[in-house]
Amino acid sequence: MTDTATFDGNGHRALAGRQPDWSFRYWIIAPAILLMLAIGLFPLIYALIVSFQGLTMLDDDTSFQGFANYAQLFKDLRLWQSLAHTLLITVIALPVELVLGLAMAYLFLERLPGRQLFVSLLVMPCVISPIVAGATWRLMFDNRYGPINQILGWFAGHPVPALWTVNPKLVYPAIVFCEIWQWTPFMFLILLAALSNVDKSQLEAAEIDGAGFWRVFRRIVLPAIWPVMAVALLIRGLDLVRIFDIIWALTSGGPGTMTETISIYTYVQGFRQFEVSYTAAMAFLVIVILTVIVIAVIRRTGLVK
Amino acid sequence: MHFSKFIPLAVASAMAFGAAASAWAESAAERAVNEAKKYAGTTITIVWEAGLQSLDPLNFSGPKWKELTGIDVKVVEVSTAEMFTKIMQDYRSGASAYDALNVIPAWMPDLAQAGALEVLDPYVDKYGFRDELQNIAPTYRDNQMMVDGKIYGFPDDGDVFLMYYRKDIFGDANLQAEYKAQTGNDLKVPTTWADFDSVGQFLTDKLAPNTYGAAFFRQPPYTMYMFQERFRVEGGKFFDADTMKATINSDIGVQVLTAMRDENKFMPPGVETFGFVENLAAFLQGQTAMTISWPPYGRWAAGYGTDEAVLSWVPKSTIAGKVGYALPPGGHPELAAGFALSVSSTSKNKDAAYLFIQWLNSEDVSLQRVQLPYALRDPFRNSHFTSPEYLAKWPDAGAYLAALQEGSKTGLLDLSLLQTDKYEEVLRQAISKLWAGDDPKAILDTAAAEWDAITAKIGVDKQKAVYGSWAAKSGAYPKM
Amino acid sequence: MTALARHQPPLLRRAGVRLGLRYAVAVALTAIFVFPVYWLFIISFKTPDEIFAFPPVWYPESLQLANYAVLFKDGDAVTVGNSLILAGVSTVIAMVLGTMGAYSLVRFRTGGEHLAVWIISQRMMPPIAIVFPIFLLYVFLGWVDTYQGLIILYTAFSLPYVIWMMRGYIEDIPIELEESALVDGCTRWQVLWKVVFPMARSGLFATAVFTFVFAWNDFLFALVLTRTEVTTYTVQVTHYFGGQSNFWAKIAAMSVLGTVPVFFTVATLQRYLVRSISMGAVKG
Repeated sequence: MTDTATFDGNGHRALAGRQPDWSFRYWIIAPAILLMLAIGLFPLIYALIVSFQGLTMLDDDTSFQGFANYAQLFKDLRLWQSLAHTLLITVIALPVELVLGLAMAYLFLERLPGRQLFVSLLVMPCVISPIVAGATWRLMFDNRYGPINQILGWFAGHPVPALWTVNPKLVYPAIVFCEIWQWTPFMFLILLAALSNVDKSQLEAAEIDGAGFWRVFRRIVLPAIWPVMAVALLIRGLDLVRIFDIIWALTSGGPGTMTETISIYTYVQGFRQFEVSYTAAMAFLVIVILTVIVIAVIRRTGLVK
Repeated sequence: MHFSKFIPLAVASAMAFGAAASAWAESAAERAVNEAKKYAGTTITIVWEAGLQSLDPLNFSGPKWKELTGIDVKVVEVSTAEMFTKIMQDYRSGASAYDALNVIPAWMPDLAQAGALEVLDPYVDKYGFRDELQNIAPTYRDNQMMVDGKIYGFPDDGDVFLMYYRKDIFGDANLQAEYKAQTGNDLKVPTTWADFDSVGQFLTDKLAPNTYGAAFFRQPPYTMYMFQERFRVEGGKFFDADTMKATINSDIGVQVLTAMRDENKFMPPGVETFGFVENLAAFLQGQTAMTISWPPYGRWAAGYGTDEAVLSWVPKSTIAGKVGYALPPGGHPELAAGFALSVSSTSKNKDAAYLFIQWLNSEDVSLQRVQLPYALRDPFRNSHFTSPEYLAKWPDAGAYLAALQEGSKTGLLDLSLLQTDKYEEVLRQAISKLWAGDDPKAILDTAAAEWDAITAKIGVDKQKAVYGSWAAKSGAYPKM
Repeated sequence: MTALARHQPPLLRRAGVRLGLRYAVAVALTAIFVFPVYWLFIISFKTPDEIFAFPPVWYPESLQLANYAVLFKDGDAVTVGNSLILAGVSTVIAMVLGTMGAYSLVRFRTGGEHLAVWIISQRMMPPIAIVFPIFLLYVFLGWVDTYQGLIILYTAFSLPYVIWMMRGYIEDIPIELEESALVDGCTRWQVLWKVVFPMARSGLFATAVFTFVFAWNDFLFALVLTRTEVTTYTVQVTHYFGGQSNFWAKIAAMSVLGTVPVFFTVATLQRYLVRSISMGAVKG
């Protein structure tokens, strides 16, 4: 008995085969799912229940509070501001990381003496613990002891006392710059792997036909790397929403709450001040918002066929 | 026959008997060791601040205790920022992994309310520690030990803000003459903040860019303590005791914030980003004539202990022998942070844990601990300030200890309420907004409103009671 | 010149110019990305006065190796080993289980959209909100401060990433290859191991690198779920930032110790990436 082949709009089809394979498909994904459930299910349920209770540092009150915490969310200006800050950073950093990463991937695609070394070095920013990276940037941005202002001073010809972690006009550029520095290599390496898989025969055919660079890119390369690129963007986007360490090290969310992202606000509320129930409600709000966005993105881009 | 005739005799013999008894009595340290021997072979786990602080139990007190009693000490190092959280999480989860704790006194109301700390009075009486507890310097003893009249921890660290200044600069005859000519006053270590601004500006005018009048660690977490001190020294009150409305946005508050911002002008550029180490480096390298900080600055500036490998990160002092010690302007230094030793209420080994902290905190052992070259524990017992051993450590140690002792008599306690961290967070944000250029009045009005919101959420009456008992402490507000 | 390279603007077609230009840009880019890493690493060789020197010191007078010796003597270097074990083992398990899962999703549409979305939603949960319930779970299981506890945790949290990334790379593999293997008599398992895994080599490599990095960088879970036995490098490093101390030399030295093994691993495994790039027309 064989599977019947099914097609989708893009001409991709499910795997045809000789044997009944209904068990194979489940067996190979079962361990992964079981593991994710085992670790992920309890916390999720716990957080859900707790978000309807009144647990704080002082109060062990587990009585049902109804939607009090959720109602509080909508009145919490600081929460919405933190979401706005998070969105701002994401919307700026993500495209830059994509374009820069893609350009770098093209750069290293062909042979280059010492490419192995270059690529290994370029991955380094991600490997340094984000906490340490944040602290290093803090030191580098230091007015007295750091090289950044020193270098700026060389270009400007006079000392540049830019206070990157304190000046409201400079904090966002500093944060975005550090974030791009740390994670562009991520896009770079992933896209390098994806570009290397592009079907050479198609490229050769196009070249024979005399097609220009952009045409080839749009018609052949982009569709080929799209599955990987889209996932990388999705993952990077989700991670940007959870950005924490760099900002905490540079500004702790300051000045005031100017650079406070949702992760920092959750940390301060849930971790330092033990607003257990309120934090759980916040977490679910974030999940709901993200799920809606992700589903919309998936449907639009046909990521899951 | 009147019994009254016998009374003097009875009193005299009681005194004689008492004297004889105390002549035979063991010290609290010895008693702790003797009582603890029966727990030999067990392990007690203690939470300690990570880094330099935990070298004490890791290299000194832990091994010594093991040697004396056979009890293993397991040190769980935790960054200061995470200590409170880890203690609460352990308590709330029922994991009972910790026996003894290091606790910042400002956290005590919260931890005691939550039930995470063991009440220590029964143990103090059982193992005879009352006397030695009395000998802890008054400010720490009366302010950092109890909540609601019950003992929850033993103050174990004389954290206090001292002013450190360059004796050579202040003693320079030329500078003195010029200052006198300019202002009509003598050039001396400032005792008021107005003096400080005047002296600081003068010194910067004369000596910059090699040396500036002063620098402080202006990062929000540290400046928050300095604000608490200066605000109260200038007469401010945190709350109206009757209504529990925040009064930090009074004229005094605004004046303090404005002055702090204006002072930055005569400090090294970028001082707004100075943390503990940047400020230390600037002072030790001779770039500032005055600064305010915790006691270790004084030891390290003199070069005490900086040969130790673990202190190799301290920049070399170029000013050894030139450092003077004084109380900060206003004369009431902040007892910023500090540490107390407590026992976890969920410990499975409370007596052993208690005996360890009694031993650590006792006269004999604590004296040795505060003298460890790598120690961050600062003198906190009356006997520490007059110890001949300590006085001999470096030429100016006498002046240093004298200043610390002065501070321990006049010091101001950190604000300590329910959910103190929330109030502190508001202050930290206020400071960061100040450096960002916002208007001081606007900043404080917002901060006061946020404080009121927090108080309302916690419960005005509840917080009022806690604030009331805090404000009643001798170190809450300076006696004007 | 590869086919891809031929589709460049005319000037850049001359091989010499291309190579020279590319090289210059590569060096400049690498310099910018690596400079902060260099700055951190060089701190581990500086004296405290050089670390806090004005103007900043770009290269120290002499290289202080004492900082490294101290880390080994004090046993701090062990935490780097702990992190390597935790991240390494969890990466291997996650890559195997996750790629298998990805294959199921791509070729068999298992669970359709719902399963795929559920899997990625695991990455949406802010860690702060779940770290305490996981702590409770682990207290119950007795897994606090154990290797297996964190390995299982990191594996579970890496799976969504691995599954989704490998989905993309597997989709790139022409389905005809697998079908011809089946026709040739391979079982499904053999198809998986003999055709899919090798073809997805470059994707496996790229995914594995970052699966490792994410586990390696974790701070929050390591902080809450360990005490003394399984301290990781990320948690240990934060111990060096005190309120009244800052062991910059140790921070830097630890970072070097932690990064260098990863660097060498990436460098050696890179041949999987490189080989598949330069292999030319293998497919079709």
